[in-house]
Amino acid sequence: MTAPTAAPAREPSLARDLIALTKPRIISLLLVTTLAPMFVAGSPSWATILWTGIGGYLMAGGANAVNMYLDRDIDDLMARTKLRPIPSGRMTPRAVLAFGIAIATAATWMLAHFVNVLTAALALAGFYFYVFVYTRWLKRTTPQNIVLGGAAGAFPPLVGWAAVTGRVDLASIYLFLIIFYWTPPHFWALALLKQRDYGRAGVPMAPNVWGEQETIDQMFWYTVLLFGLSMLPVTFGVFGLVYQVAVLVLGGLLLWGVWRIRVRSAAGAEWTAVAWWVYKYSLLYLALLFAAMAADRHLGVG
Amino acid sequence: MSLPLPLPLPSLFWIATALVVIGQMMILRSTVRAMRGASSERAQRGIEWSYAIVPVIALALVLVATWRAVERHDAGVPVSSETTT
Repeated sequence: MTAPTAAPAREPSLARDLIALTKPRIISLLLVTTLAPMFVAGSPSWATILWTGIGGYLMAGGANAVNMYLDRDIDDLMARTKLRPIPSGRMTPRAVLAFGIAIATAATWMLAHFVNVLTAALALAGFYFYVFVYTRWLKRTTPQNIVLGGAAGAFPPLVGWAAVTGRVDLASIYLFLIIFYWTPPHFWALALLKQRDYGRAGVPMAPNVWGEQETIDQMFWYTVLLFGLSMLPVTFGVFGLVYQVAVLVLGGLLLWGVWRIRVRSAAGAEWTAVAWWVYKYSLLYLALLFAAMAADRHLGVG
Repeated sequence: MSLPLPLPLPSLFWIATALVVIGQMMILRSTVRAMRGASSERAQRGIEWSYAIVPVIALALVLVATWRAVERHDAGVPVSSETTT
C-alpha cells in the first residue's frame, strides 16, 4: 500500500495559458448577458444560440488577450495579474497579440456568416471599445476609466438582441445601460480592496485619486440610479411582474450592501468584508437579473 | 396567466425616473467635489467634466424616448420590442 500523496499542482501548459488569456471566468458572465437577452428578444434557434455563444466567447476572449498584451508592463506590478502568461514569461507578447487578433477575426467571420452582419459589427465594436477606448485611452488617464469604459462590457446584450431580431431598439438599449451603470459599483468595490496594487501600477482608479469616501459615495448613487433604471423597461411593456420582483429583491440587496459600506466607512468601522460581499454579490446580481428577464418573457406573468 | 402590476405604468415611470435623476445629480455633485479635491490641472478638469457629462446626455435622450414608449404602450400601440417576440 502506498502512502497517500498530495494532489500535484497543475503544470502550466500552452493550452491552459491560451484559455487563461481569454479570461474565462469573466466571459462566463458576458455569455449570460449575451444569451439571456436572446430569449427576451424572441425564440432563437439552437444554431443561432450556438454560433452567438461561440462567436461572443472568441470576440471577448480576443479582446482580453489583446488587453493582456497592452497591459504587460503593469501586470507584473500587481499581485492579481503577475501570474498571467506574459509577466510570468510563459508566452511572448507577440504570440499573445497574434492569438487575440486571430480569435477576434475568427469571431467576426463566424458571427457575420452564421448569425448576421449587425451582430458581428456590434461584437467588433465592443472589441475595439475595450482595446482602444478603455485599455489604451481611459484606463491610465482618468479615475472615470471604468465609468465610460464600462460601455465595453455592456455590448453583449446588444449582440444577443441583434442576433435574434437583426436590430437594436429601446429595450436592448436598456439592457446595455443596466450593465453600464452596474459597472462602477462592481469595479470600485474591487478597486477599494486593491488600492495598493493599482497605486503601484500607476492606474488612477477612483479610490486612489478621489479617496475612499468619495468613491463609496459614488458607488451608492450609481446603485440608486441602477435601481431606478432597471425598473424602467417595465413601464413600456418589455417586462412584467417576475422581472419587477427580481429588480426589487436583487437591486434592494445590492443597495443594502453598498449602503452598509457607506455607513461603516463614515463611522470609521471596518468595511472590507462588506466590500468583498458587494463585489461578489454584484456578479450574482447581474447574472440573476438577466436570468429573470428571460424567465419573465417566457413565463408571461404580468 | 397574467397578473396586474402593483402600480400604473406612468406612475412607475415617474418613480423610477426620479431615482435615476437623483442618482445622476448626486454623481455629478460628487464628481465635481472629487475634481476640486484632486490636484489636477484646469485642462484635465475640463476633460474629466466632459467624461461625466456624456452619460448624462445619453441618459436624458433615453428617458425622453422611454416616455414616448410609455405613452404609446398606454395607448395600446405596440412598441418595437414587443413586435419582436
